[in-house]
Amino acid sequence: MSRFAEPLSRLIDELSKLPGIGRKSAQRLAFHLLRTQEEDAVALAEAIRELKAHLCLCSICNNVTELDPCAFCTNPTRNQRIICVVEEPSNIASIEKTKRYAGVYHVLHGVLSPLHSIGPEQLRMQGLLDRARAGMVDEIILATNPTTEGEATAMYLANQLREFSARITRIATGIPAGADIEYADEITLAHAMEGRHAME
Amino acid sequence: MISHQSEAIVLRTWPFQEADLLVSLFTRDLGRVRGIAKSALRSRRRFGGTLEPMTWVRATYAEKPRQELVRIDQFELLASPLAQPMDYLRAAALAFYAEVLDNVLPDHDPQDAIFRLTLTVVEQTRAGTCWLPVTYFSLWMPRLLGWLPALDRCTACAAPLEEAAYFHSGSDGLFCVEHRVPNSSLLTRESLALAQNVERAPLSTFADGPWPRQRAQDLRRFTMRILERHLERRLNAAAVLSQLGG
Repeated sequence: MSRFAEPLSRLIDELSKLPGIGRKSAQRLAFHLLRTQEEDAVALAEAIRELKAHLCLCSICNNVTELDPCAFCTNPTRNQRIICVVEEPSNIASIEKTKRYAGVYHVLHGVLSPLHSIGPEQLRMQGLLDRARAGMVDEIILATNPTTEGEATAMYLANQLREFSARITRIATGIPAGADIEYADEITLAHAMEGRHAME
Repeated sequence: MISHQSEAIVLRTWPFQEADLLVSLFTRDLGRVRGIAKSALRSRRRFGGTLEPMTWVRATYAEKPRQELVRIDQFELLASPLAQPMDYLRAAALAFYAEVLDNVLPDHDPQDAIFRLTLTVVEQTRAGTCWLPVTYFSLWMPRLLGWLPALDRCTACAAPLEEAAYFHSGSDGLFCVEHRVPNSSLLTRESLALAQNVERAPLSTFADGPWPRQRAQDLRRFTMRILERHLERRLNAAAVLSQLGG
């Protein structure tokens, strides 16, 4: 028998399914929600319900959006001929924060992962290949993470896209701003040296 | 608390709680250990790129009495797979090594021969030249674990296997044409001879000739089935390698 009343126990079960939330944190959150004003609890429930009811994937770039196509794909001020390929929709926010990119995106929703049986068929690559095949693209920036799986995905995509006319580029890797070279690992430093550029 | 410093190969990582990573590590001195890399998920400052699978590091970690998980303090990079271009086949080969090692190695049991084998095959696994090290690893792992059957005689009648041999996922060993199990697969004479040579010679001996994916495909299938049969589970990365032609 559960230590808590059934609705509370159910909420704890559901909350503990969230990433980074253990059983104890779920209990703390559930008791917080129990003590909170009813309208706040209802607003949270409504927000979660609307998240699932009103959001969909953009039919062009696979970004999470309320309107299909998404705001990036329909924005006339953005360069629709440059595509930045990212692993997850959350990566778009990170790139947007730089304010240095005004093209559009393509979200793969994952990376090639042989350990988890994720192959090219499980990723959303086809839309990107179709856009490149249609000749509507000047440059494709591969912005997957510089991890084993991210690099393998970038190289796989580069090989698939090579037959089309678009220029294929990979984001640079190297020393983070404000870091100290003394503490950088050899691989990062080697990539930084390889990716050096002329100072104008 | 006992502090250790040892060469190690990172096998796998999993997110653990909000910001930590659970790391499976194959150390030279203590065999496989599992530990927590604190805040490694949130900040890469301390561990950098050393947490990538099949990275060779000098690990500093602390063992607490009566606790299964060690505390990982520092990784000093010795060699990273990211130093070479990473294609899908190479990623699958590295994932195959990691998956096999993570499943077969017992905790806290040093396996120096397997450690040396792993360093050798990882070093040789480069974009475009993966099939030789994969073949070598998939044959030597069952051998070092004592799972490899005799390659020179039939398991049923002990007759010498001079021509082709047969194997079946439901049975151990190789069989002659007379004792083969129905629906068994063929191991060609060339692959059989190669397997017998691989048992005797270092990896570098075979590196001169070309290694297209068709070469020793049947041998890899045979050795991967041995591994899967003893582990009693399918290996995800082995399935990917099969799809890629291995």
